[in-house]
Amino acid sequence: MSPSPSTPSKATGSTRSRAAGDATADTAKVTRLCVLAILVPGLGHALVGQMRKAAIFFVVLMTMFAIGLAFGGRLLPFSTDEPLVFLGAAAQWVLLLPRALAVLAGLGAGDVVAVTYEYGNTFLIVAGLLNALITLDVYDLATGRKAA
Amino acid sequence: MTTHLGVMILFAACVSVVFGTLMRDAPRDQLVLAGRIFAGLVVGAYAVGWLMYFVYG
Repeated sequence: MSPSPSTPSKATGSTRSRAAGDATADTAKVTRLCVLAILVPGLGHALVGQMRKAAIFFVVLMTMFAIGLAFGGRLLPFSTDEPLVFLGAAAQWVLLLPRALAVLAGLGAGDVVAVTYEYGNTFLIVAGLLNALITLDVYDLATGRKAA
Repeated sequence: MTTHLGVMILFAACVSVVFGTLMRDAPRDQLVLAGRIFAGLVVGAYAVGWLMYFVYG
């Protein structure tokens, strides 16, 4: 007895739905890794198995963040009146957990008259921007665009 | 350390370590790239500083 014409199309449909399910799972995994990489610097690399890189990123970015606060840098608010302040705040929030903890601890008010005020802001903003690059690297590793 | 030179060297060190680690996989390659970026940042800042001194100073 020959197979009914509908059998191949059913198999194809099943394979397609399985592939769609895998793609959804992959998307969820990649999203989770990227969110965790934004949350804590180096956590994304740790979860894809690159522990040495993760440790270096964590130590260096946390050091930059701490130096920024110690220099009297300001944790910038999302102010739409001043576009550069808004962009600076967006960059700083890429270090999500350290930034949130610093706000909760009452740090980062900013010492405008300190000689190192602008240096501090630069360290805080660049630490966030570097974490954005690190998060993009995690995305490439998680999607297989870059070999782990 | 709060001189402009000291802070610039500290900043260059942090940035070069991150870029070296991010863009290479072998530890030796990472060290070489980080060293090159660090040297480029410090020498470049010096060069631009002297250029501004001669042009505007």
